[in-house]
Amino acid sequence: MTVDALALNNAFVYDFLKRFVQEELYTSGFTEACIALSGGLDSALVLKLAVDALGVSHVHAIFLPCKASSEESRRDAHTMVEFCGIPWHELDISAMADAYLAVQPGMDRLRTGNLLARLRMAVIFDQSKNENALVVGTSNKSELLVGYSTWYGDMACALMPIGDLYKTQVRSLARHLGLPQQVIAKPPSADLWAGQTDEGEIGVSYETLDQILYLLVDQRCSPAEIVSEGFGLDLVRQIERKILTSQFKRVAPPVAKLSQRTVGTDFLYPRDWRR
Amino acid sequence: MTYTVALAQVNPACGDLEYNVKLHVAQAEQAHEAGAALIVFPELSLTGYSLKDQTLDIMRSADCPEFEALRKLSRHIAICAGFVEEGADGIPYNSAFFLDAGEVRHVHRKMYLSTHGMFEELKFLGRGRQLSIFDTRFGRTGIVICRDLFHPLEVSTMASLGVELLLAPSAMPARGFTGDELAIEHTVSLALGSASTFLGMFVVYVNRVGFDDGLGFYGGSALSDPVGGITVSAPRFEAVQLLGTIDTSHIARHRYQLPILREEDTDIVRHALDTRRDS
Repeated sequence: MTVDALALNNAFVYDFLKRFVQEELYTSGFTEACIALSGGLDSALVLKLAVDALGVSHVHAIFLPCKASSEESRRDAHTMVEFCGIPWHELDISAMADAYLAVQPGMDRLRTGNLLARLRMAVIFDQSKNENALVVGTSNKSELLVGYSTWYGDMACALMPIGDLYKTQVRSLARHLGLPQQVIAKPPSADLWAGQTDEGEIGVSYETLDQILYLLVDQRCSPAEIVSEGFGLDLVRQIERKILTSQFKRVAPPVAKLSQRTVGTDFLYPRDWRR
Repeated sequence: MTYTVALAQVNPACGDLEYNVKLHVAQAEQAHEAGAALIVFPELSLTGYSLKDQTLDIMRSADCPEFEALRKLSRHIAICAGFVEEGADGIPYNSAFFLDAGEVRHVHRKMYLSTHGMFEELKFLGRGRQLSIFDTRFGRTGIVICRDLFHPLEVSTMASLGVELLLAPSAMPARGFTGDELAIEHTVSLALGSASTFLGMFVVYVNRVGFDDGLGFYGGSALSDPVGGITVSAPRFEAVQLLGTIDTSHIARHRYQLPILREEDTDIVRHALDTRRDS
């Protein structure tokens, strides 16, 4: 078992995702997209897809740093904006965050991280209203499955073009599209404190994580079968646990059913409901 | 007999009957002007695919007033299009009608309603229970809707009962992006090749394009000819109308060279089903 099993025909995927962005927006009556840029690869790839799908004048990307953000993040976000030929917009969320942190002393890193993600969400949704745009999300399949994302924070959006691409597939597509090497090669990070990396937080490299997720989720292999492919049982169990405990983030909240037709249960319409 | 068939690889609007009827009229007029005798649209082309609870609102009978323009147009060009049929029993069916000479000549109800994974047709729609075999000016014609095409027993039976022209309106979502073709394209090409190569039928496979809630339909419509193989092949993802030529002499010629149907002895199958059903 190697990561080759995850290799995609990037030309097909690119064409398909561009059309997805275009049609999902147009069907909903929008022509504009808003994207929160982090300086990382996921938002870089989504920016490139959106610009190619909608045109440079229809994509509004904003870098939303806080005090903890690294200089590299600004530099890389700037590089992507130049690469795509769109104007630079930056809005510092530190003052918003500080106002809350001042009245909530002793917040740990997780709470602070969630707060920052949700402040960014509030800003990008407000900006999208101003631009009459939809927020295009940047979550990938790896983080959606293990729940390495903030519920109603960075997960909040109108559509997820790369939500079915594992992180290693995101990298591969980014290379195919010629994104700047510094953006592709950097260690993925939520950039909430100095030296933080996804892989340090999740406890495994994306190469390994994606292979295990692929076997568990796409191939529906049992843990024993995955162990026979050369992966440690503890690691497989740990990843399985992450999937289970983050399920609540991936579904709409349950509605207590009382009537004959209940939202979410038997009031069933497509998102693309146009009449 | 030689005639032109139009493959209308369209992107219907989900739940918008009025828009879709206009789209069909424009496509049929274009095909007629280009000399086509028959136009085939995708599965549920008049309604969109992922209807869910819109199914109840959008179901119609084939002779409803909304389809009058299409029935009139069929005086000039035969039309096969997909819709949600309101059965006389009040049940909605995933159906395709065949219009010709201003009339509804046949309605096929999809037999195998995909209900697994991303598909949930049986939740909203009733099952068709009959093979569609009917005679038209193009010869003995059959209709299979999407998943029906993947049931070789039914397709073989239709051939055994004389079907020469198989219309296959579809709404197949893209999936399997690893190879030089989509995984679903490979599956479809096996079904088309099997129907044309072994059974000597022309197959008009028309798949839709566009997205319904993240499901992206890949297009790739094709005309499969018993002699010529795939003679028309539509691009992926693009809304297009393509024309193909059907030369009905290819059917006899192919069936003479590879006489599978001449050899076919359905009594063997009947006997096996009768004697081994409970074993």
